[in-house]
Amino acid sequence: MSKLQSQKDYEDFRDQVKKERDPERLLVSICAGSGCGAYGTEEVREALEQEVSKNGLKQKVEVKVTGCHGFCEQGPIMVIHPQGIFYPKVKPADIPEIVAETIVKGEVIKGKLYKDPVSKKRIQKEEDIPFYKGQHRIVFGNNGMIDPAKIDDYIAVDGYSALVKVLFSMSPEEVISAIKESGLRGRGAGGFPTGIKWETCRKAHGDIRYVMCNADEGDPGAYMDRSLLEGNPQSVLEGMIIGAYAIGSHDGFIYVRNEYPLAVKNIGIAIKQAEEYGLLGKNILGSGFDFTVKISRGGGAFICGESTALMRSLEGQVGRPRAKYVHTVDKGYRDSPSTLNNVETWANVPVIINKGAEWYASLGTERSKGTKVFSLVGKVRNTGLVEVPMGASLRTIIFDIGGGIPKKRKFKAVQTGGPSGGCIPEDLLDLPVDYQRLAEVGSIMGSGGMIVMDQDTCMVDVARYFLDFLQEESCGQCVPCREGIKRLLEILTDICAGNGKEGDIELLEELAGTVSKLSLCALGGTAPNPVLSTIRYFRKEYEAHIYDKKCPSGVCKELFYYEIDEKKCNGCHVCFLRCPQEAISGEKKKPHTIDQEKCIKCSICYESCKVDAVAIK
Amino acid sequence: MEDYEPTIIAFTCNWCTYTAADLAGTSRLSYPPNVRLIRVMCTGMVDPKYVIKALLEGADAVLISGCHIGDCHYMNGNLKARRRVKLLKELLPRFGFDEQRVKLTWIGASDGIQFAETITEMVPKLKALGPNEVRNQMVL
Amino acid sequence: MVTFTLNGRQVEAEEGSTILEVAETYNVKIPTLCNHKALEPAGLCRLCTVEVYDGRRTRFVTSCNYPVWGGMEVKTDSEDVIRHRKMIVELLLARCPNNEFVKGLAAEFGIEATRFKLEEDDCVLCGLCVRMCAERMGVSAISMTGRGTDIRVETPFQIKSDACQVCGACESVCPTGRIDVREIAKYEPRPLLSDWEVGLQERGAAYMPFPQAVPLAAVIDGEACAHVRTGNCGVCREFCEAGAIDLDMKEEIIEVEVGSIILATGYDLMDPSPMKQYGYGVYPNVFTSLEFERLSNATGPTGGVILIRDENGELTVPPKSVAILHCIGSRDVNHHEYCSRVCCMYALKYGHLIKEKVGHETKVYNFYIDLRCFGKGYEEFYRRLQEEGITFIRGKAAEITDQAITPEEEGKLVVIGEDTLLGKRLRVPVDAVILCMAMEARSDALDVGRIFGVSQGADGFFLEEHPKLGPLNTATDGVFIAGACQGPKDIPDAVSQASGAAAKSLALATLGKVLVPSTISWIDPNICAGCQTCIGLCPYTAIEFDARRGVSVVNEALCKGCGSCAGFCPSGAAQVRHFNQKQIFAELDGVMDAISAVGI
Repeated sequence: MSKLQSQKDYEDFRDQVKKERDPERLLVSICAGSGCGAYGTEEVREALEQEVSKNGLKQKVEVKVTGCHGFCEQGPIMVIHPQGIFYPKVKPADIPEIVAETIVKGEVIKGKLYKDPVSKKRIQKEEDIPFYKGQHRIVFGNNGMIDPAKIDDYIAVDGYSALVKVLFSMSPEEVISAIKESGLRGRGAGGFPTGIKWETCRKAHGDIRYVMCNADEGDPGAYMDRSLLEGNPQSVLEGMIIGAYAIGSHDGFIYVRNEYPLAVKNIGIAIKQAEEYGLLGKNILGSGFDFTVKISRGGGAFICGESTALMRSLEGQVGRPRAKYVHTVDKGYRDSPSTLNNVETWANVPVIINKGAEWYASLGTERSKGTKVFSLVGKVRNTGLVEVPMGASLRTIIFDIGGGIPKKRKFKAVQTGGPSGGCIPEDLLDLPVDYQRLAEVGSIMGSGGMIVMDQDTCMVDVARYFLDFLQEESCGQCVPCREGIKRLLEILTDICAGNGKEGDIELLEELAGTVSKLSLCALGGTAPNPVLSTIRYFRKEYEAHIYDKKCPSGVCKELFYYEIDEKKCNGCHVCFLRCPQEAISGEKKKPHTIDQEKCIKCSICYESCKVDAVAIK
Repeated sequence: MEDYEPTIIAFTCNWCTYTAADLAGTSRLSYPPNVRLIRVMCTGMVDPKYVIKALLEGADAVLISGCHIGDCHYMNGNLKARRRVKLLKELLPRFGFDEQRVKLTWIGASDGIQFAETITEMVPKLKALGPNEVRNQMVL
Repeated sequence: MVTFTLNGRQVEAEEGSTILEVAETYNVKIPTLCNHKALEPAGLCRLCTVEVYDGRRTRFVTSCNYPVWGGMEVKTDSEDVIRHRKMIVELLLARCPNNEFVKGLAAEFGIEATRFKLEEDDCVLCGLCVRMCAERMGVSAISMTGRGTDIRVETPFQIKSDACQVCGACESVCPTGRIDVREIAKYEPRPLLSDWEVGLQERGAAYMPFPQAVPLAAVIDGEACAHVRTGNCGVCREFCEAGAIDLDMKEEIIEVEVGSIILATGYDLMDPSPMKQYGYGVYPNVFTSLEFERLSNATGPTGGVILIRDENGELTVPPKSVAILHCIGSRDVNHHEYCSRVCCMYALKYGHLIKEKVGHETKVYNFYIDLRCFGKGYEEFYRRLQEEGITFIRGKAAEITDQAITPEEEGKLVVIGEDTLLGKRLRVPVDAVILCMAMEARSDALDVGRIFGVSQGADGFFLEEHPKLGPLNTATDGVFIAGACQGPKDIPDAVSQASGAAAKSLALATLGKVLVPSTISWIDPNICAGCQTCIGLCPYTAIEFDARRGVSVVNEALCKGCGSCAGFCPSGAAQVRHFNQKQIFAELDGVMDAISAVGI
């Protein structure tokens, strides 16, 4: 492949690629995102390819291994085009049947289709599944059509057309004003208007400007940036090149954590291919604009997702934040103006350029535009990556798309924004999700983590858990964050262990105030959110822990015990058989009892009782 | 011969040996009375003629003594004296003088003791050498 | 310049300065902990947090590194700010509940106890040490390791650092006293000892030479200064408000033309170490007279309280008994035969000071050969001391030992000597011994003497021109001597001699002209053959060749009369006046005639 040297080169090449692709051709796309991969995509692919060649269908069928489709709960996912037949949880053993029936005969295997747990109906097409139906996938939409290792796939879906448009028909100022008009805000956590950031950086003093992509996604349970880099790295690259053009930068970095090997690999391939095609490097598409991108692999410190810490880490120093009274757009990496955006923000850029700022601004709420990808995890049926327009309510995301809470449990709270986000209770479920509204209720957008909790979750324990994480991940430089989080955790641990005392809640609030107001960086600034929001919405639980020495949710082992309700117990004996401590006694068909001396509160009896006779006391 | 007392003429530099001799005196050091001092400003001004003249006039020995090398009040006069005495010593035998009759030493201003010792050492040696007879043999 | 509101008051400040700096100039006090003038502000302790209202919202920022801008409203002690600061201090107190510095800080904020569980730490992790080592010393021997609550100040891999230059800067900035350079450095630190305090006290690389130094200005010890050695540091510059420190100063040789020179180079105190019998350097409480002088001095290391060393070598214990040993090294055929002249009187003074400062029950023993109280009022002083109860033992002490033979000698120094008046041998147990060391000529007297053409006497002191008639003059005209460089003498004598020397040089100066010695060379133009041999020989380039007349001519102002020319002149034209050939020959003749007339 020789380099594309002009707009025409690109257009000719794109048309050629498109022409080569027959829309009626059989295409089997298998998801190889991290979720599906863990379920066994590789085995499924091998089995499929063997079966295809065994049946002599190699010319007829194209097998494509793609990035994340988002519905990770159901992996590995297979979609057969052009019909769009969606088969979830495919195993190698299913392959012969799928090939024989669907691929050869074109018939749908009803039994293998997705069954909606709510309506109990089998659904044939991806887009009809409630999980996808409620979404608006402008960033993630192409993942299912693209092999991340093939730039041609990206070009076939009009990839890099935004870059061409920018390079040959827009001035940098026009690009910036388009981004400003679109209302795009940073998808990392801060929610800073991207256009203004670019503009400031462009105007900052300095000869050299840097563009960076923050792929140091560290929130537990969040993996949307990972999936984007793994599934559609070219879109991120394209966004970065456009950004660099707008800002006037020629050097870019992608700071990606080394725990994402597939992401590191795919973005590496993407950079290499883009360079080969003349879409990256010197004189891009003959426009005279130069831009190179280097990958920097992070060591996995959570704090390195903070912009100043990230830049220090890039410089080769210890990743510790500094005060941002002088912004990184003025003095960032190597004291030069630097623009750092996260993966998702960059991926939004080509969409805005292609579809127009106006169109983009029409999505979302007044001050939060476009869509946002959330990683919906926890006690929810449809775990996965969800892309919805800003302003979608929590209820829509959790119940309509997420399918609600499994095992007939009740919804209790949802924690948004990663470990330093807040917990939002049930009565706020209709809250439209955008930057302002989340902040109003004491949480943050964060990078889009969303952890759903059910009735069996102890909110004090949740706060303790997140603070434990933050204590370890705090860089330890400044007093409020290092000492404050430690003390918050200490008090919460005491409360969970039944050693809470009067005044603890007030002390937590007071200390949390200092930590959030005085900390040097945003980690400390948001760290008290889990404590403050749980106190705000679940104060009763705290009081139960402290005054009654009870954990109503049955999590804090020192503060509850299990008891079998004689009236409810039907003597099925299941708990008796499963108890690892032999603490349950009783004859079949007669009520059982628990020997509290032996019980270790492992909750196996509680989980396994079909009639809810095991109660938390 | 037993009561032969040699005569020593000493050209002493004003800054070192003359002071040393003075110090020897004020220190009440005892040394043989055979020496007569002729003060010069510097050993560098001692013309070889003076030495010859002294020997011819009947001195049994001539001592030229100045500051230590590097200590010269006039920077390097003693170095010039050293060169001159070396040459003179080569000439002396031609006149019939024993070259031991001319001696060059460095005695610093504070070396009163050394001055006394130098004279003390010289006298017995000269006694052993005997009187300076050249003058008598010469037709002046 | 920008204008903003500081605690409700309009203030002006240079653009780019921080709130803290501006507050300081307006006398608004903001507490700090991790801030240091010589270091880049880091904003780690957050103690200097203030409230900034930017027109939309109130923020809490650290004043140490927040740059000022026009129109902002700063409050340095709002209720919220104080509440938050108190919480910070309370957190620190919980971390280091037993550290004096942190306790003091807590007290300043009115915090008596912390509500959190107590830990046992000494480090507040302000990072001053680490930043000092990195930013100023350019070494980074220590750094903050670990993350979160595990963060600590350590050397890499907790191995004693080879890179550490043992400068102790870390220790000096540590507020809590946690840092010990011995734990960091691979090499043992060498304390810089104060010369002025004869090694009884340590000093920094920058120090005041002594309390009444003239000029009263600090000096920097180039051998110890980290800046001179490595080009880094320069911390002192940040603190000198007068901007008086010039670290790039180079050694320079200044040539001053003067009419006369007074040598007042002083003396050396004899080193008692080679005299093994007195155990100096072995027994910690054997002091030299100069050491004791500092111990009893109000500006000395103990502030004038007479204290001797405890078992740790610290000056903490008042002595119960002291022996003063006279004539150590003086009047001693093995060392110096001369009397050092001043010891008797200062020994008496010491006895008096001990009695007065430590207490009259303190025993003082003087071991003397003779007491020479020759000056005005001196003998009276001696009498008074006898009445004060000081014991005088005639007899030079022979030895000092710590080997006890009786119970009362246990743990004491025993002075062994003889009372020659009683003819009795003595063993006197004491707590401390003062050795009255001999004054001796300075070790570099020979070199100095050479430079100035001044000779040394047999005792090594500079020799005056004449003991009675020229006690201030030297062999070199215009060079005078004063004070102990000429011989042991006390302060009144030194002052008198110095005044005399000053008067002598003033006399020269007032005259406005010098007398050229008459003993200079002259070249007889009638004889000179113009060979120019003399020109090359003259060490003062005082001879020029007069080409017109074809003769060499002596410049009489330059000529010093050494006679190099005269000694060499082949024709005998060059002659030194008063030492010309004719005169020398005449002198010779006279001498020889006398000899032949009277025998030798």
